[in-house]
Amino acid sequence: MMATALLIIHGLVAVALLGAITHQTLSAWAPVNTRPGSFFGRFRTVPPAAFANAVVVLYLAAAVLGAIIYLDFRVDVRPTLEQAGHWKVLGFFDLKEHFVAIGAALLPAYWVCWRRPRDDEPIRARAILTSIIAVIVWWGFLAGHITNNIMGFGA
Amino acid sequence: MTSSFAFPRFASAFGTAFAVFYVVALKLDLALFTVYPSLRLVVLGTHRPRDVVDPALGFLAPAMYWYGWAASAACGALVVGLLAALLPEGSTRRIWLGRLWVIPMFAMVACVYLTMPWFRL
Repeated sequence: MMATALLIIHGLVAVALLGAITHQTLSAWAPVNTRPGSFFGRFRTVPPAAFANAVVVLYLAAAVLGAIIYLDFRVDVRPTLEQAGHWKVLGFFDLKEHFVAIGAALLPAYWVCWRRPRDDEPIRARAILTSIIAVIVWWGFLAGHITNNIMGFGA
Repeated sequence: MTSSFAFPRFASAFGTAFAVFYVVALKLDLALFTVYPSLRLVVLGTHRPRDVVDPALGFLAPAMYWYGWAASAACGALVVGLLAALLPEGSTRRIWLGRLWVIPMFAMVACVYLTMPWFRL
């Protein structure tokens, strides 16, 4: 019961994180001279740096919640997936673990890039770093979602 | 001035070093500790279930290494990060934040390569 509640909270935090990092990534790559009324023009009106603190807090919250639920997953869920032969799903989930760890370690640099940028720092590097975090968050979300639902697919 | 530039150097070096150490820990199975969730047990170092319970009962005590791999990488990265923070500003200006993303990206590719066996089953 507790694991289910934590999983739902984990999912909700992940959705918020997904929105924040996706918005920031698109803003970082969108051309500066975008037409004001266009879709990307409206994206551009929100300063991307404003998302940095939220992304760091949400990423850490999602990672900590995921790390707690992972204990239950290993004992109660993974053996079932192994017995059912869902090896690819387990591979995707393992990649999620690895990517999330690497992404968590990048958060201090990501925060510095957005909140304390330097004049001699290439803007593209900041956009690439943000994109890496975005890829990790999207991968984590999709892999977690598929793992959560896999026994229901076609069952 | 020094402290305001020390944190960016620490942050860049920590993120880069963590990615390298994590791949090394994953490849060489260097977990700082092993977690046995069903036994509520944490053992220092990389342990296999057969070290804790009878091999025939190994399925009852699944071992978890991810926390240990991350902890190993974090310890190594912390040392590298602190050393980088102590370096003089001019010596690191060109290498840190600008190219920070390269090594973590390669580390992610390495993780994909090390996870490939799952996709061949």
